[in-house]
Amino acid sequence: MSRLALRKKVRTDLRQKVQGLLPGLIMPLVLASLWFFFSSRSILPAPGAVLDVLLDPSADLLSCGSLFWNTGVSLIRVLLGLSIAIMLGTPIGFLMGASGRFRHFTFLVTELARPLSPIALLPLSIIIFKDTSFTEVLGLNQLKYSRNILNELQIGMVFILAWGGIFPVILETMHGVRGVRKVYIEAARVLGASRLFIFRHVLLPASLPDIFAGYRMAVGRCWMVIIAAEMLPGTNSGIGYLLRYSYQLSRLDIMLACIFIIAIIGLVFSRGLELLGEKWLLLRARER
Amino acid sequence: MSLSIMNLEKSYSDISGKNLRVLGPIDLSVQNGEFVCLLGPTGCGKTTLLRVISGLEQADCGEISSEKGRLGYVFQQGALFPWMNIESNIKFPLKAAGMAADLCRSKAEEILDLVGLYEFRKSFPHELSGGMQQRTALARGLVTGPDLLLLDEPFASLDTRTGINLQEMLRNLCRRLSTTVIFVTHNIEEAVYLSDRIVVMGHRPGRIVRDESLSLEWPRNRLSSTFTEVLLSFRHTFEELVDPSISS
Repeated sequence: MSRLALRKKVRTDLRQKVQGLLPGLIMPLVLASLWFFFSSRSILPAPGAVLDVLLDPSADLLSCGSLFWNTGVSLIRVLLGLSIAIMLGTPIGFLMGASGRFRHFTFLVTELARPLSPIALLPLSIIIFKDTSFTEVLGLNQLKYSRNILNELQIGMVFILAWGGIFPVILETMHGVRGVRKVYIEAARVLGASRLFIFRHVLLPASLPDIFAGYRMAVGRCWMVIIAAEMLPGTNSGIGYLLRYSYQLSRLDIMLACIFIIAIIGLVFSRGLELLGEKWLLLRARER
Repeated sequence: MSLSIMNLEKSYSDISGKNLRVLGPIDLSVQNGEFVCLLGPTGCGKTTLLRVISGLEQADCGEISSEKGRLGYVFQQGALFPWMNIESNIKFPLKAAGMAADLCRSKAEEILDLVGLYEFRKSFPHELSGGMQQRTALARGLVTGPDLLLLDEPFASLDTRTGINLQEMLRNLCRRLSTTVIFVTHNIEEAVYLSDRIVVMGHRPGRIVRDESLSLEWPRNRLSSTFTEVLLSFRHTFEELVDPSISS
């Protein structure tokens, strides 16, 4: 292909891509203009004021730290809780899927605990864990009165996040393992594979799409839980805390900025994981 | 690998808890290098017999004695692993046996060449036609150079022409590797074309009603009168099984 033709192709590709996005942009634009129009006659701040907050994410807000700092605190809490949920939930789910005895043994507990909102456990976790943070757990008391991320990672917070994330992981992993077609396992057995080999090369890859779906649900749940948890007593940092605090001080521009950030991070989480799953885990290569 | 089955029985309990005998008693011995077809109508227990021989299921009583050897198995629907490409599927039994990676690759490439799928080795099963998937399944069953190859109606879901091509390919490969084969089918023509010996099974409970070595020579011509004669004689046995009033 000549260079000119290539450039032309790139240009048409780009145009098609932009055209594909256009219909999706109509609604947001309509909403933004409505907001712009009505903000002058209502209590809502103008879009420009919110944009100012968003465009200067490293400025300190209300002496609570910057947008960057608070978003980072929330994100790290979520990642920590989520990793615990994944590390504990995946093997438990696997065992529940692979062994009927283990499933019967744990069934009642998981079924009872699953619908329980993690927020309902927040008071209990504060009673149990107090406001113990990772600084104290790791014995780094010299950091206690400085601004350090470890001070903001309360055990109780991480506990309820892990609680929120672990059940989707357990259940989806269990369903994934139970849903592996018997013929694959029989084929592997009869072709001479050992139990460990079957686990590693058949059960795991065959249930991977479901396991990954569980992780995606867990991320979404954790992100919802952390925002709610940060708005309740037990912490004084995080994007949820900044949201509530700005509301109490009637700084609605900061409040709306927080809402935007929460929404955008939620979007990045779910879409990002979806793309990652398709790209690297070959989820598409399953039988359809 | 030679194999002998003595007095084998197998029952299942049905929904109401009643014991239902599906197999037996069955006595069968297979010589080394023999190509045996288990021919019978649906539900006569031929697949169950194959599963018992392979060790996927346990018999209630009786015994199977055979030399120790490698086993190959081809399922009805291929049972290829959809998350692996063709090459990895074929390498699976080699890797399961703990073979070194480069040896695995050379063995897999050899068999890929034999079944004519070398260009498709990086494709995934769902990207291939049914015939190609079944060829992959054959290659996966044969790659270890098994002493005993068990096939459970491997060509039943293919169209006639593809089925015939694959029958030829299977027969040539097995002769070349001098593998002992037990081939389960309900297709009489397929059985007559492929086997050295046909074992006809009847149902309720599954039992052997006819066991005969074929004297047809190679290559076999489906249109020759001797072939049709043998075919007709087995068709007769088959019809009698389904409807006993015919024989009178």
